[in-house]
Amino acid sequence: MIKMTQEMVMEFTEKNFEKEVINSELPVMVEFWGSWCPPCKMMDPVMAKLEEEYAGMVKIGKINADRNPRLRNRYNIRGVPTFIMFANGKEMERYVAAKSEDELRKILKRIYQINRQTEKD
Amino acid sequence: MISKTPKPWNAEKTCWNCPAAKFKGNVDFRACGQSKEKIKELQESKEVVIECHRRKELGHFEPNITFEQCPEWKLNKNYNIYMLRNMRIMILGIDGYLGWTLALKLGKLGCKVSGIDNFFRRDCVMEKGSHTLVPIERMTERLSAAKDVLGVEIDFRKIDIMDMDRLKGFMEEVKPESIVHYAECPSAPYSMVDAKHAIKVQKNNVLGTLGLLFLIKEIVPESCLIKLGTMGEYGAPLTGRPLFEGIFPADAVMKWNGREWSMGGELTPRDPVSFYHVSKVQDTFNIYEACKYWWLRSYDIMQGVIYGVHTEETAKDDRLRTRFDVDEWFGTVINRFVAQAVAGIPLTIYGSGEQIRGFIALEDAMECMVRLIFSPPEPGQYDVVNQVSGLHKISELAETVAKVGKEFGLDVKIQRLENPRVEAEEHPMEVVSKKLPNTFGFECKVTPEKEIRRMFKVLTKPNIVKRTGEKKHVIYPMTRWSGEKEKMGVLEVYEPGTKLMGGYVGKLRI
Repeated sequence: MIKMTQEMVMEFTEKNFEKEVINSELPVMVEFWGSWCPPCKMMDPVMAKLEEEYAGMVKIGKINADRNPRLRNRYNIRGVPTFIMFANGKEMERYVAAKSEDELRKILKRIYQINRQTEKD
Repeated sequence: MISKTPKPWNAEKTCWNCPAAKFKGNVDFRACGQSKEKIKELQESKEVVIECHRRKELGHFEPNITFEQCPEWKLNKNYNIYMLRNMRIMILGIDGYLGWTLALKLGKLGCKVSGIDNFFRRDCVMEKGSHTLVPIERMTERLSAAKDVLGVEIDFRKIDIMDMDRLKGFMEEVKPESIVHYAECPSAPYSMVDAKHAIKVQKNNVLGTLGLLFLIKEIVPESCLIKLGTMGEYGAPLTGRPLFEGIFPADAVMKWNGREWSMGGELTPRDPVSFYHVSKVQDTFNIYEACKYWWLRSYDIMQGVIYGVHTEETAKDDRLRTRFDVDEWFGTVINRFVAQAVAGIPLTIYGSGEQIRGFIALEDAMECMVRLIFSPPEPGQYDVVNQVSGLHKISELAETVAKVGKEFGLDVKIQRLENPRVEAEEHPMEVVSKKLPNTFGFECKVTPEKEIRRMFKVLTKPNIVKRTGEKKHVIYPMTRWSGEKEKMGVLEVYEPGTKLMGGYVGKLRI
């Protein structure tokens, strides 16, 4: 996992995806992004903020769709940014296009609660 | 206390940012994104690999080498930035105020500088009946002085940006790794003279840039286009909405009818204030689209009003000086004020003088350019920077010029004229300029006072005082946005320091 500065979000790659996302104990929010996509670039500070806010509850990271073509294909990414929520290695929800901070917060809250409920069950 | 030098700003950039990395033919960029086409099925074993134009011996490799690791990128300790060895940089509009200054700076930094110009600016200033107050040599003498004084060799061709065939030939010969585009007519009043002038500006600026984009796509798709835009593209919204750096941040939200959407990544509204500014907005859209369609990369610079005369290189020898125009078409406001102070005529403020604008000194602007050139964007990345070091009210700048002028024994007066332009004279102004300081390591070094002092030092030299006196009549505004040919009336003449300052205050968010 690479985390370059405080304002940058963790990057998942094809090399660490199984470990960090599929086998993660926490639910994971992944943003597929591209360097050519202004909305993706603009999501960075929001993602970094939410990553800090949800530390220990939901793991948050990004995958560059161009640099990781196998993941891009595996998850049939047709537009970026695409946000995919994973729990126990399975895709739970996905959203395409930039989201406001509040929208993402609602999604994160829901996925966290679903995951907690599943654990209890 | 031991101060530690921070890590170079571009140390962790990789082949993805490097113009020497050959992506074309190696990476299938359009396999996802907004394309409606069916995604190509990739073989499970296929890795992203590229080639390097500079290090062919590497063959195909994963593009993960950082600038810090790559032997082609060398650390420059003065700038604390990695610079691509002998980087090939082409400056379009190399004979101009900015083009010539940047060429000398880059040459001194060890870059291989090439450039074109068709002397459009020299012709337009002559058309106005003016001349550059600081005399400049013919291009052949300038090139020879650059070599003699600085040891800088510049590969120059007289080419019009509209002459795509010749420009193509030159680009194929040089294969520039970065292209700085200054080859546009930079004058709002010039574009408002009449239909002929407006068409000339828009044709040169919009179509010239559009042709250039096609040439970059064909010849050097991995190079970065660094394009000069202007803060005037945004206008001055009366709502006080901040002028973001071209693109809305993700936490900007549009609310309507009980629903909301993130505006993150969308271009912010533009409200250009002349046909010249419209041409710059059109460029913005053309470049944005070209990056999207063809995977080009570009920094679009929304530059504040430029002023000043000094850089280390141009000050080395009179033959290396850059041009300094003060006529109503091409003179920027602070430069005009200083010339008026030297010529003994009142400084001309348009309307109330309460207009707030972003400004940057020549030396600081050049420093920004260097930092942008050596931190190229990634493939397909279109980005905007607001290149501004301070926000100032026009009437306050007149006061500053008058105050510094006093140090040079000049008795300066200020006059308010009818405003030839159609613009808000009193308005809020909040500008976001975070990228240059936070992403590229730029620190503003030059205040208006400092540069105005330097300007007076140069402009009060006897030969320049004479040249200023000869052309003082061309500073007065004659070009009305309404198209009427009538001299602007004087509203008021006053002594500096006698006006009560109030109203809006500019806010710069860095």
